[in-house]
Amino acid sequence: MTFDVNVLPTHFPELIDGLLLTLRICLLSMAFGAFGALFLCLGKLSGRGSGYHVSVFVIDFFRTIPEVVLIFWIYSCLPLLFGARLSAEVCGIMALSLLVAANVAEIMRAGVQSTDQGQLEAAMSLGVPAHTIWLRIVIPPALQRMAPAFVNFMTELIKATSLLSTIGVAEMVYQANVLGNRTFAYVEFLTLVATIFFAIIFPLSLFVRHAEARLAHQKSR
Amino acid sequence: MAALDELIEVSGGRTTRICLTIALVGVLAAGIWSLNWETLLNLHFGDLWRFRVAVLKGLGMTLTLTSAAAACGILAGTLLAIVMQSPVRPLRWFVVGYIELFRNTPILVQLIWIHFALPILTGVPTTAFVSGVIAIVLQASAYFSEIVRAGIQSVPPGYREASDALGIPVHTRWMRVILPPAFRTMIPPLVNMTISFLKTSAILTVLSVGELMTVATRISNATFRPIEILTVVAAVYFFFGWLISRLTGRIEAATARRETR
Amino acid sequence: MAGKQVVIDCRNVVKRYGTFTALRDVSTRVHKGEVVCVIGPSGSGKSTLLRAFNGLEAIQVGMIEVLGLHMPGTRKELEAIRRRAGMVFQGFNLFNHMSIRENLLLAPMTALGLTRDLADDRAQNLLDRVGIGNQIDKYPTQLSGGQQQRVAIARALMMQPEVMLFDEPTSALDPEMVGEVLDVMRDLASQGMTMVVVTHEMGFAREVGDRILFMADGQLLVDQPPDVFFASPTDERQAVFLSKVL
Repeated sequence: MTFDVNVLPTHFPELIDGLLLTLRICLLSMAFGAFGALFLCLGKLSGRGSGYHVSVFVIDFFRTIPEVVLIFWIYSCLPLLFGARLSAEVCGIMALSLLVAANVAEIMRAGVQSTDQGQLEAAMSLGVPAHTIWLRIVIPPALQRMAPAFVNFMTELIKATSLLSTIGVAEMVYQANVLGNRTFAYVEFLTLVATIFFAIIFPLSLFVRHAEARLAHQKSR
Repeated sequence: MAALDELIEVSGGRTTRICLTIALVGVLAAGIWSLNWETLLNLHFGDLWRFRVAVLKGLGMTLTLTSAAAACGILAGTLLAIVMQSPVRPLRWFVVGYIELFRNTPILVQLIWIHFALPILTGVPTTAFVSGVIAIVLQASAYFSEIVRAGIQSVPPGYREASDALGIPVHTRWMRVILPPAFRTMIPPLVNMTISFLKTSAILTVLSVGELMTVATRISNATFRPIEILTVVAAVYFFFGWLISRLTGRIEAATARRETR
Repeated sequence: MAGKQVVIDCRNVVKRYGTFTALRDVSTRVHKGEVVCVIGPSGSGKSTLLRAFNGLEAIQVGMIEVLGLHMPGTRKELEAIRRRAGMVFQGFNLFNHMSIRENLLLAPMTALGLTRDLADDRAQNLLDRVGIGNQIDKYPTQLSGGQQQRVAIARALMMQPEVMLFDEPTSALDPEMVGEVLDVMRDLASQGMTMVVVTHEMGFAREVGDRILFMADGQLLVDQPPDVFFASPTDERQAVFLSKVL
């Protein structure tokens, strides 16, 4: 068996299509998921009541069950339960949106709850209005603290899109399989796809490491 | 956190709770309204009972894979983390390359690569199970080594200096001075990572290695009834994830008590 | 002090955290223009008492009135008390992500509706007064601990408070920086500011304080003028404490 890279360029368009689909799914599920995360985070911060208990359960549940199970459940059960026809891509986006909502909600909650107690007390004892405390004292440092966890989750999400190939979403891994079947150049296409994933995710991982180190440095100061 | 709670209440905690409850009721109502009742009323969870042996076997396989990933991951991860402290530069680079490679590509791609591409390159075919184990263990060691590295870094440098000053030999220094406190701080991330590999084990279903998700897919295909089995399996995964985190809560509390005493 | 306006009135205050009682039946009054120093061993409840004056700790029994307003009262009343009573913390609690100027301007502009020009003038004046007028555009972490605490005092003064509460303002400072902060406080006292100071600085308490409150185990045991307090201790625990710190 030889490693024949010449077969790759002729099929670049298909792979690029797959890559674009991967990115589109990521962006859409990020957007929908962030919206859901906001509600879940509010629910968890509200401390008691039905909204709190439901948020806690939803966050725990979707953070604990395997992504594959979630994807298959939505793909094969949701259409039956609601009598609706849903494309694989829509199902995939729904599954990943739930994943984003639960994880990002938890990241946001942790960011808000790690607010420095002393700074809050100082702001309150100055009589600063509540909405100003949120906008000026709580949220800006919370966003800064959340950044590494958020980007880290983004890398997990990008990796999770590959799982959508199992329900037939034509993203990169799916395309690589199809092209491998057609040309028998499995190794080449798989390696190329792995390289593309690495090229996208590695810079994000570097950012995470850098941002974490900076935060640790700030804390020790 | 008293101050944050006060802030939340002052900035409309009550209103938020009421709005969330209304939204919740709305979502539930809309969901129930659009449900296909025919499907719902025809669900037969009882029929799953005849698959209990298959499901239990699958669960056993899932838990085995998870434990293997965690055990090998912690062991190999610790070794990798110690090698990372080595003064030999090429060795460190090799480890860094290994870790980054496995952390920054999807496990699905690694899995397919190991199962389909590796045999082509080496000429040695592997069974689905062996490929699955290789992939999950390789990824686990990369992920766990990062945790161990952070744990080792959390040990105060004074410990190392003190053991140098006392002339404690290298292996005693690692086994008695540095690793024990490092592992104590590592308990929460180690558990999270173990739960994460419980989830990862389900991905091995693409090779049909016979763990819980494989079994679920087979049952769903055989009965044409995906809802029952997939819902049950989701609940089982959730239960075991919850169980692992609950057990650790206990361990953590116990170690914390011992520390403060 | 009869006839003078009562700024803080606290009667039979009890504060519990779960089963632990932090304040046991504490009653005292602070009058306008007085400097009251609260001292005692750590864990005696003195910080808790001070924080209760500002509504940062809720009390279970008794009542606290600050500037004629009942605690806790409504949200508006609590906010009013906090705007009229300045608080300085042991850990400075400056907003590290904001410049010194923004730290000082935030509360007066948002809570009092001061214009930026007016607030800016006031900030510059106060920083000059605490001796760091040239640092206005730096960030808190660029300053020394003593400078940060002086900024924190200036930040509280921006609201033109009628009473200042100090919670161990020099305990987190390196020894060489304690003096500069105490100087600012001394200056403030000499201008007639009503102050309640929780402190371990016996020299300051003796020199600046009008009254010394001694607390132990959540109880207010002694309330005396400094010359009496330090010269002839009446309480056994007071005597033990003084023998350790003096």
